[in-house]
Amino acid sequence: MPKVLMKGNEALAEGAIIAGCRGFFGYPITPSSEIAEYMARKLPKLNGVFVQAESELAAINMVYGGASTGQRVMTASSGPGISLKQEGISFIAEAELPCLIVNISRGGPGLGGIQPAQSDYFQATRGGGHGDYRTMVLAPSSVQEMMDFAVTGFELADKYRSPVMIMAEGTLGQMMEPIIMREPVTKLPEKPWAVTGCRGRKPNIINTLHLSAEYLEERNHHLQNKYTSMALNEKRAESFQTEDAELVVVAFGLMARIVKKAVMEARQQGVKVGMIRPITLWPFPDEAIRQAVNSAKRFLAVEISMGQMIEDIRLAVAGRAPVEFYGRIGITPNPEEIYQEIMRIAQREGY
Amino acid sequence: MANVIIFAGGFGSGKSELVLNYAIRKREQSDRVVLADLDLVNPYFVSRDIRKTLENMDIRVVAPSGELSFGDVPNIPAEIIGLLRQENDMIIDLAGDEVGTLVLGYLSRYIKDRYYEFYMVINPYRPFAQDLESVTELKQLLEGAAHIPFTGIVSNPNLLGETTPEIIRAGHEKVRGYAQEMNLPIRLLTVESKFHDALVNQYGEILLGINLYLKPDWM
Repeated sequence: MPKVLMKGNEALAEGAIIAGCRGFFGYPITPSSEIAEYMARKLPKLNGVFVQAESELAAINMVYGGASTGQRVMTASSGPGISLKQEGISFIAEAELPCLIVNISRGGPGLGGIQPAQSDYFQATRGGGHGDYRTMVLAPSSVQEMMDFAVTGFELADKYRSPVMIMAEGTLGQMMEPIIMREPVTKLPEKPWAVTGCRGRKPNIINTLHLSAEYLEERNHHLQNKYTSMALNEKRAESFQTEDAELVVVAFGLMARIVKKAVMEARQQGVKVGMIRPITLWPFPDEAIRQAVNSAKRFLAVEISMGQMIEDIRLAVAGRAPVEFYGRIGITPNPEEIYQEIMRIAQREGY
Repeated sequence: MANVIIFAGGFGSGKSELVLNYAIRKREQSDRVVLADLDLVNPYFVSRDIRKTLENMDIRVVAPSGELSFGDVPNIPAEIIGLLRQENDMIIDLAGDEVGTLVLGYLSRYIKDRYYEFYMVINPYRPFAQDLESVTELKQLLEGAAHIPFTGIVSNPNLLGETTPEIIRAGHEKVRGYAQEMNLPIRLLTVESKFHDALVNQYGEILLGINLYLKPDWM
């Protein structure tokens, strides 16, 4: 298949269509809007449904409704919009409705700006909504992965009957790269729990209100077991030259690509440095970090935020090595900047 | 020769890089070059990023300035109408798709008084430029929003870093097919400068080598 030149947002939208998504409900916000625009152009031609809702609250509840029918459905927004959707995401988690939620993230807090950032890490991985729930979070680092992860996201969502989030910096949504188109998914999983009309069978009910304390607790144990299973089976990370690394840089998303360039540059200067890129932000790939602690004397978290993922790195390192931080916000650090930071630490520590 | 050149097209068809190069080239012949960046839709990777460089070359840049350059709100620089009524060589960069071209509908009454060219930029490797039907649909939408018809096509076949002379040739062939069907002349074939020498014998004077200014080198 010949390559196509796509924007990250377009690739993600096309990836969702390839995965069989036929329902998009959203409210536009920079830098995510091209996802909605792409869906608005394409879904009507595919017998799908595109609704620009009156608000983010409405959009996420439409996702709840659409997912209840067993269809693959999604929404996309940016930080401020995802904040508004938190209540709905909590409901979707408890109702165990598979769907895809996309955050093309920008700088906050508040209205913030529209420049790229990763400062919604806490929001994504801790879940801003109420109750004991988790959302699996995938962080792509290329336009190709924007497409691929949309497919993976829907697969994981169906596998666990759970909302899955894709979080990518605004730059990744906006930048263009040539990508290979994937073949459309033709076989979708059966969903016997879906609300599809109950002639000849017992009605399926999708509900999140459980007034009996015992049943509520049972539900929570059920969800926790599911999250434990996700944590056991779905952690993903990419390790780059960590085997003998004395300094390990941890970065995700597009930032990881920039870090990789800096690591390669520093290696040429003889510095034993490596990189770990968490691909799932939740479940956080702590084993990859723990493995690196055996040789690493020090870690460096690089984030386009004031330092959020660093907390998960510290939890994984468990005090066995110091974890330093380098971050910007609204401004994506370039490889030179990261290289300088690596060299500064290497010289100071004598690596 | 036309002294207002307007570039429109689908999102990500390559307008902004082309416009920068075109303005810089024009500066070699004219000392009254005005570059109007009317990308009101999306301020990521747009030509106002290199405003300083252009201004150092004595190219006047008309674009949302200061804080407003990342305003995320439609913002038409007020001086644009005054400049359209003056003698100059103006180059206009519009945002993608029909929403990006809407602003031209508003300005068209002033533009009709000038000798203008209105070009549709096509990169046949982009998702909505892969077949004649999509391209024709886009052309109609853009002209409807602009209130003026296109006068030519700019062929911009590329896959960014993965472009080769073969990819350019195959893509340009596709654009020639569209141009013929839409009855519009191809005015320019834009390629990265490094391909210029390999292609100049084949394509001659429509070939324009361009340098990429907007893409950070780590991308």
